[in-house]
Formats: sequence, structure tokens, C-alpha cells
Amino acid sequence: MTTLGQEERHTEEKVYRQLRANSLLQEIMLRYMMEGQAASEQGKLAWVTSGFPVEIPVTMGVNVSYPEQYGAIIGSQKVGPEICGFAEELGYSQELCSYARSSIGSVRYPEKSPLDGLPKPQALLACNNICGTVLRWYDAVSQMTGAPVFLFDTPPTEGDQPSHHREYVRQSVLRLIDFLSRTFHTSFSEERLRKVGELSGEAIDLWTRSLKACRNRPSPLNCADRFLAMAPIVALRGTEPAIEFYQALLEEVQERVSQGLGAIRDERIRLLWDDIPPWFTIFRFFNGLAARGVVFPADTYTHAWSGSLAGADLLDSVVSVYSNVYLNKGLEAKVDKMCELIKEYSLDGFIMFSVRSCKRYSLGQLVSKELVMERTGVPGVVIEGDMVDSRLFNDAQIQTRLDALLEMFL
Amino acid sequence: MARRTTIGIGLDIGSTTTKGILVDSSGTVLAASLVTTGASAPIAARHVMDELSQTSGKELTGLPIITTGYGRTSVEFAHETVTEITCHSMGVHSLNPDIRLLIDVGGQDSKVIRIGPNGRPTDFELNDKCSAGTGRFLEVMARVLEVSIDDLGPLALRSTSPSTISSTCTVFAESEVVGRIGTGAAPADIAAGAHLAMAGKVATLAKRVGLVTPVGVTGGVALNPAFRHYLSKQLNSSLWMPDKPQLTGALGAAILAVKR
Repeated sequence: MTTLGQEERHTEEKVYRQLRANSLLQEIMLRYMMEGQAASEQGKLAWVTSGFPVEIPVTMGVNVSYPEQYGAIIGSQKVGPEICGFAEELGYSQELCSYARSSIGSVRYPEKSPLDGLPKPQALLACNNICGTVLRWYDAVSQMTGAPVFLFDTPPTEGDQPSHHREYVRQSVLRLIDFLSRTFHTSFSEERLRKVGELSGEAIDLWTRSLKACRNRPSPLNCADRFLAMAPIVALRGTEPAIEFYQALLEEVQERVSQGLGAIRDERIRLLWDDIPPWFTIFRFFNGLAARGVVFPADTYTHAWSGSLAGADLLDSVVSVYSNVYLNKGLEAKVDKMCELIKEYSLDGFIMFSVRSCKRYSLGQLVSKELVMERTGVPGVVIEGDMVDSRLFNDAQIQTRLDALLEMFL
Repeated sequence: MARRTTIGIGLDIGSTTTKGILVDSSGTVLAASLVTTGASAPIAARHVMDELSQTSGKELTGLPIITTGYGRTSVEFAHETVTEITCHSMGVHSLNPDIRLLIDVGGQDSKVIRIGPNGRPTDFELNDKCSAGTGRFLEVMARVLEVSIDDLGPLALRSTSPSTISSTCTVFAESEVVGRIGTGAAPADIAAGAHLAMAGKVATLAKRVGLVTPVGVTGGVALNPAFRHYLSKQLNSSLWMPDKPQLTGALGAAILAVKR
């Protein structure tokens, strides 16, 4: 007699290949969290948004923690409704981003939150290239913690970025350097930024090579692999441990490719994933599809960290990379990206996850779906839910949509 | 499967009713059954199987069974489950191969399906987490107006000036209707307003997928003449409806079962 848990593990072993590099990933991320705690105690910790030009604080010796990544931890530990509920008790709407709600909730009750909450910040660095909510969210955390907020303002771009636009964002970089100098009593060196930029670029290059390897059939990585493996590219850009991990990951990926081993045992249908994943059911969701031969060789989310700092004028490179995040561009840029990924990775269709929390990412998905279907000729489906708040995820409705999509491939 | 067969069984286990169809390989319907799902989908499915056996005079043991609908996974004797999207598409295609856009409105969902030349769906949209465009909406309206669900459509067609029901939420629309009753609006006008609101919601879903005529309508709600009237006006298109629009999902499942 086997328990349900054993059966689930058995099924996962059958359909899914674990990455050896995951143990290194756990080790590196644990070290990163401990360093964050130590930095907080020394008064050297900033919280940053996922699209922030993190190379600047790293250059200036300021440690960073990512509330969005912490939101993913809350989601994967399946305590999203509880922690988001703490923010709702304070009066925040259930319509507010669940990363923001879980962050505010955990600041209110760190003792009731995973890992006792994120270490206390001395500054809050928000970049609005991913959404506008981050500023008000960080304002709320500022009121609760006393840490000052810095807004790195990147106005949305459509097509080529005009020179006055670039100059405006460049001034933001200079203001950031000034803010960090005053707040953390530290200084900026362009030479040091070049070194950090090189480290960041090296990690991005290794990561990108692993992503590109998924063009192979079978794909060496599935969605859940990449969503876990992206942690250092978000949190540790510009540091040695990120390079160490992505080197190990790439070696394993190349080994899988050379041996013809896929991330899943029996790859039959290749799909594109759009948007943030449902962290609270990430393994069940993707392994459930893997059991039916569905692999996701590409997604729009983990491909978002691809810009490296380079060139003679590094500050200009910061402006360019962080203004041109595709969430900061028009809908057309995202549609182009999806069509490009479908073609490049030889995909049979796509799933768009309409994340109730993330309006910026999910806006326009219905129109995008039609455009991508028209341009690529492959079918797609929109399913609705959330990344952290499992109360917004209706299993039966999602299953019907997924089943109907898969039936189109029969 | 123990043996190859030329007869297949389709069961469509919906939130409100469970439907069953027995077809042979030529597509001829040998028996059909419809019962209320009630609290137990497996019991309703068994009930339908008994009726199919009695009507056709055939022993059903060993015949291929495909289930569809929201309760499709709750029947342990099914050989395969297929979504109602594919089943409705296949069922309608067998009855009218010209239909390229199908609107199916059931008890708890409304779906719009683009049907490919081979009868398979090529695109679809479903209502999401909202009952305003479904049969449940009309059930609630009928209850508030104290008429049977079968009488609601004919009542609405007597209206000359439909009331405005602005809410797109079933719960809030109920309060709105109670308000209209309070201000003395005629029941026929209120019923017409409810159908108009619902048809508008379904039409929006259809336009999202893209209007291609002729348009087919299926599902239990398709039997409601006021719904068809207002939907036809909203889409500016005539609507094709099969004789038994609630059975097309089961029919599609049965056709797939024969091919299995």
C-alpha cells in the first residue's frame, strides 16, 4: 500500500527528470538569504523590484532582497491566502497585486510568515519598468518600516527610445547613485560597475545559452525547471555565485542534449507559457501536463532577463537595458516576442496565464492571443488565476480549457 | 477495449442535466436520454445508461463510452473523457457541416467554438468565473419573477419595452430585478431585459472569437425562444439550432466513441 504522496512522487519520477544543479541552487539561495539577513543587521540592505538596475546597488556594496521572489516563496509554501489576508485586514483590496499584498502582510506579521519575513530593509528601490503598482506598494512598506523609497522612473517606450527620454532615465541613474551614497554612506566607481556588469553579463550569457538549448527536441528544460533556475538571474545578477550556478546548469543541459534526454520522459506536445506561474501548484500543474506529454521549451517570463551591460558608456547601457524590458514597451513588442519564441522553439501552441494580480503582464492577453494565433497558425488558450493567491485559481475551469487545447493536437 | 464495435455511447454530464446518446457508425441515433444530474453525477450517469439500454433494447456492456461535461471524470465506467468543447463541435458538425461558429449555453457556462472543416474545434472562449451568461442566470430570473424556466422565454417575447438590466452579475441583477418589480415594471419587460442582458454577454464572447455565419446554437438555453431572438438581433445573424440542442455534446461524445 502506498500513500498518495508516494504515488505522486512516483508519478513525478516517471514523467519528469530532476536537475542535479537544483541542490547547488538551493545552497546558493540559502547563502544569499543569510547574507541578506547579515546585511540588514549591518544597515546595508535594500529591497528591489525584479526589473531594477541592480548592478548599481551591487557596485556600491549594497545588498539586495526581492519581495517578488519572497512572494514566490509564500506562494510555493501555499500560505498565499493567509499572508495576503493580513494585508486585506489592513484594508488593502483583494484586487491588489498578490506580491504586494503578501509583502505588506508579511511586513505586518513577519513572525507568522515564511522564514520570519524578508530581512528589514534600509531602503526600498522601485523601478516602474514592470508596473506602476510597485511604487505605491513600496510606499506602503516605507510607512511600516521607515525605509526611504527611491523611484527609478522608466517611462514606457514604443519603438525607438528618443534622446530626451534616454537623458531623463540617465538622470535617474545619477540620482540613484546620489541616493545610495547618502543613504548607505558609500561611493560609486565606474570601474567597479564595469566589473559587476561583466559578471552580470556572464551569468546572463550562460543562462541564455541554457534557454536556447531548449530549441532541441526533446527540450532539456521544462517550465518549472526554468522558473526555479531563474532565481539567481533575478537576485544575484552581478555576483560570482550566479555564474557558478549557471555554469553548472549549462553543463547539465548540454549533457542532456548530447544524450537526447528531455526534461520530461515522453515529449509529444511543445507549448509556450506566457506570464508568471501559479507558484502554489507549480509542480502539480506542470508535471500533470508532463504526464500527458506536454513540455514547455519556452516562456515569456524567464526570457525577460536577457539584457547585459556593455559598451564604452555603461550608464547609457543601464538606460537602454532597463527601459527596454518588454513589459515597458507596447503590446506589439510582447506579441512579437511570443511569435518569435513559437517559431524559434518549434512550438505547437501556447498557454497564456491571465494573472489577476499582474495587470501589466496580463493586460491585452485576449487580443494578443488572436494576433499570435493569426501570425503563427498555432492554437492558444487563456486560463485565469493568480501567482500567489490560490483563492483565484479554479481547477475545474482551467482543466476544461487545457483539455480542450490538448484535444486540438490529436 | 475487449472488442471492436460499431456502436458507441456518449454521456454529457452537465451541472444541471445528464444526457446520453447511443449511435452507430453511420451516425444514426439508436437511443437518447436526459435526466436531472442532481447531487450525484455517477447515479445520474447510471440512470441514463439504463434508459439507453431499455430504449434501444441493447446490452451495453463492453461498448465504448466517452464522457464529457463538468462531471466527465466522475464516472468510473467511462473509457475516455473528452471536453464538451470538442464534443459539441463534433456533434454539431455531424448534423450541419456548414456551421463554423457554435454558441453553446449550458447551466454553468457559455462557450463559443470555432469549428474547423473536419469538425474539430480550432479556437474557443468560455465565460470565466461568472454565471451572468449562463442558464443559471435565467433560472435565477425565473425564480424572482415567479414563473417556470420554460415560461420565461415566451413571457419575455410579449414585451414591447424591455427593462434595462445593467448589472452583469447574477447576484446584483437579482437585486436589480427586485427593484424593477418594486417600481411596477411589467414582468414581461423585466424578463425581456434579463434576456437582453444575457444575450449581450454571450454575443460579446462570440464576437471575441470572430463571427462566421451561419452560427449554430446549442445547449439547454438554446431552447429558450427569447434568448435566440435577442442573440440573433445582437449578432445581426440568423441562428441554426438542431432539434435537440441539449444533446449535441453527448452526440459528439458518442460519435468519438464509435471512432475510438
